[in-house]
Amino acid sequence: MKVVGARIPRYDGVAHVTGRTTYVDDVSVPGTLWAKALRSPHHHAGITTLDTSKAEAMPGVRGVITWKDVPLLEYGHLSALGIPADEPLLAKDEVRYRGQPIALVAAESEELAAEAVDAIEVGFEERPALFDVREAFDSDAPKVHQWGNWYPHFEGEMDRRQIRKGDIERAFDEADTIVQGVYRPAAIEHAPIETQVCQVVPEANGRLTIYSCTQALYFSLGVVAAHLQVPLNRLKIVGGTTGGGFGGKVDTATETMACLLVLKANRPVKWRWTREEEFLCSSTRAPWHMELATAMTKDGWILGQKMLTLHDAGAYARFSPYGLTKHSFHHTGAYSIPNLHFDGYVVFTNRTPTTAMRGFGVTSVSFAVETHLSRVAKELGLDPIEIRMRNANRIGDTSPNGVAYTDPSTIDTLQAIADAIGHELPADYRTMTNEPRAGELLPEHLVAQVGSTEGH
Amino acid sequence: MAKHTGRGIAAIEYPTGMNQNGDPSQCWIKVKPDGRIDVFAGTADIGNGSKTIQSQIVAETIGVPYDWITYDNSNTDSSPVCTGTFASRATFVAGKAAEKAALQVKQKILEIAGKELEIDPTDLEIVDGEVVAKGAPQTKLSVGDVAAAATWGHGELITGTGAQLKPYAAIIDPETGEVDLPPHSAISYAACSAEVEVDDETGEVRVVRLQQCYDVGRAMNPTLVEGQIEGGAMMGLGLGVLENCYPYYPSVEHRGGAFGSYLAPGMEDMPQIDTIMIENPSADGPYGAKGIGEMANNPQPPAIAAAVHDAIGVWITELPITPERVLRALEAKTEPRREGKKVVFDGELSVNAVSKGGITFEVPA
Amino acid sequence: MNLTVNGITHGVDGRELATLLDVLREDIGVTGPKAGCHQGGCGACTVLVDGEPRRSCLLPAGYADGTEITTVEGLGTPEKLAPIQQAFVHHYAAQCGFCTSGMMLAAHAYIDRGGTDDHDAIQQALGGHVCRCTGYSKIIDAVAAAARGDSFDLTTTAVGKYTTMATGGGE
Repeated sequence: MKVVGARIPRYDGVAHVTGRTTYVDDVSVPGTLWAKALRSPHHHAGITTLDTSKAEAMPGVRGVITWKDVPLLEYGHLSALGIPADEPLLAKDEVRYRGQPIALVAAESEELAAEAVDAIEVGFEERPALFDVREAFDSDAPKVHQWGNWYPHFEGEMDRRQIRKGDIERAFDEADTIVQGVYRPAAIEHAPIETQVCQVVPEANGRLTIYSCTQALYFSLGVVAAHLQVPLNRLKIVGGTTGGGFGGKVDTATETMACLLVLKANRPVKWRWTREEEFLCSSTRAPWHMELATAMTKDGWILGQKMLTLHDAGAYARFSPYGLTKHSFHHTGAYSIPNLHFDGYVVFTNRTPTTAMRGFGVTSVSFAVETHLSRVAKELGLDPIEIRMRNANRIGDTSPNGVAYTDPSTIDTLQAIADAIGHELPADYRTMTNEPRAGELLPEHLVAQVGSTEGH
Repeated sequence: MAKHTGRGIAAIEYPTGMNQNGDPSQCWIKVKPDGRIDVFAGTADIGNGSKTIQSQIVAETIGVPYDWITYDNSNTDSSPVCTGTFASRATFVAGKAAEKAALQVKQKILEIAGKELEIDPTDLEIVDGEVVAKGAPQTKLSVGDVAAAATWGHGELITGTGAQLKPYAAIIDPETGEVDLPPHSAISYAACSAEVEVDDETGEVRVVRLQQCYDVGRAMNPTLVEGQIEGGAMMGLGLGVLENCYPYYPSVEHRGGAFGSYLAPGMEDMPQIDTIMIENPSADGPYGAKGIGEMANNPQPPAIAAAVHDAIGVWITELPITPERVLRALEAKTEPRREGKKVVFDGELSVNAVSKGGITFEVPA
Repeated sequence: MNLTVNGITHGVDGRELATLLDVLREDIGVTGPKAGCHQGGCGACTVLVDGEPRRSCLLPAGYADGTEITTVEGLGTPEKLAPIQQAFVHHYAAQCGFCTSGMMLAAHAYIDRGGTDDHDAIQQALGGHVCRCTGYSKIIDAVAAAARGDSFDLTTTAVGKYTTMATGGGE
């Protein structure tokens, strides 16, 4: 019997096609209140006044929360990894992006909740906003953050992620050609068909049951418990079935605030973001600014690579320091490059905070490195498949941070693509394997690249 | 005024599991008195199919039919820790925890069957729901009978637990980025060819065909892998030519707030997507699997950018490659700056052109 | 007003101006149609009104007074799946499943009208339904198979039309 490897239908396939799969929005609890958020209309402003009394006095309104109601106002998903939190659950004295939540209302209906949001009195003092990561380092740039305009908490108190390997000066000195380019992939919406949504129910024993669309039940459990300052067993997350998630549903965007409203109103609360909120206020894939320079020999060896990355994190750090680190670990793409100089910054701007999205940290690298290599091939008059195969990671080659690769397949995948498109490779490329380099494919500059695969 | 065709190539790699690891997944399993298997894990199914894959792993590892498995990831009371469904970790990390839990269950079933059959458990195996004596297939006991014996006769609950955790790989030298341990669970690889058609009058780029090859380690369920690769390809196509939250980035204006004003790929944008799967197994993933869900949207944008250049002779390195960008690039026909052995593209986009000196990008020569 | 949903008539009062989607989900408790956008932009809420696919998030419920409404729940049951449902299972056309009911109802109406397995015609008929997971290929394969009247083995799934297994993989 073979189960692994078999084309078995989805475990929940019949449930999906009969409409029986239960998503969060399908959970119906009697007595549920609707939540709506007051969000910042400004990209950057001080909050001068915040008065919720009129909203609270409206008929049908059962609770309003602001930053004052949050036991631990700032907590981040990466706090557990020692990355300090910088984002208040609800804005306190400053808003740093349009759409940032300031207050949340629970009322008997969605319409009433929206009316109550309009009745909250809030005053702003607009401040200059920063949008271009390339201007963030200038002395006259608007200041986004108490930390400055870029994240300062990498290991060793460094304000950037660095990779250094080999002798970069020598690589560029010995190069026949140096190619430079700038690569800028865009911010993208996750846009799952199910918007951010949660339903929180107060239980008789004092626990809170949180129906959640989270991609990460235990991550979200930890985040909610930390903000609420309660032990994990005070909460029960019900979920595991998500109507599409591409990273954005790791954010725990709704659950904590809905819990606070439940504690205030002692009634079940549902918070379902509108599609417009999902598009305009939910976190996005980050836009990146990457500058690459490669030191090339005329026959297509990559001797060295210098790279500067500005990761446009938006207004808060969220997962961006993690994403930039992952980016740096993979910034050579699928190739062995012996001499490296990488500097990357997590830069804050007054746009919606960005978060993890499919391919996090590496989608950007793939675009930059691969587009660049296509350019290099064109510039040197070389075949785009051969130049990739020649420089490809081999068994035993080392990564930017010194870890040996154990099971690379770039050569196999490129051979398969060459076959598929009818691209005739020279004989030595047709027979090339992933085995450690030798002979012509181990030029002097790569000799020191070969590491030990033992223990990995 | 004409349509031009072009082809571009990309090759990529991508890690499985959280970068630097330290991300546990756990699983526990219990067996009902009739031998049916209840699996509890905290892995959300975001459409990726983790319910299916983990059920397959448990069925295969114990040796029972797939439809004997119930899989429950519904809540944090009954399910143990799973860091989550992201970082291409569900099949590898959470799947490994399920495999470990299933191995314990299998061992327990064999022990109790051994007592019932008075045969050393090492001489027994489980085949399609039956415990069979190796070399004497007529001596057998169904897993259901073993579970019943455990429950009613031996007073035992057949359970298994499994946890998968690769230790956190610390950066031991922040100057160089050197780490003390491998920072990934595995690495997977892919290559892609994109064929495009560019209309030099409208500027529209149409992706006609994507041919892709992925090293998936082991295709646990080839149909589900195809689903990841095809869905990822469409998302990569969106990245390449359609999607943008900020159409005039870095400006934040004109952000689309509806499907009507944000260009998510639709059926009309579909290219032909050819998938080739290679199985180069990982050393320690369940059954050799690697995670490929996330990388599935990484190779298309650069392959498309190269294909656009092949078609119309201009490099567009700001995504997405919209009709406006194509037409502007065709009009500008910007050549790189050549200084000695340096070839400098995109000078106008560089920090050196925009920053007032706060940050620079210096290249030795 | 009277709404006949999957053959059962429900009297609903005072909700004529609410959207049909909200009335189906909140008043009648039929949750197959999904609220993906409330803007008519994604198609997840699509139901059949007298056999015609309609975006129920844009339709005032009063408009559907006296009509026959079919939701995904009315297509078939787990024991007796409709052909389009079988096709979606066998061709792995649903991943997260959130767009699935709207997608299948549009497909069902297309096939009912005599739609064929022609790729472009299916694209046309289902255009405007957004799926963020599948990349659409398998959805089109499923609709084409149902349109052809294929029979489906629900113990396995179809091999992708343009897939090559270089090694192994349970073919």
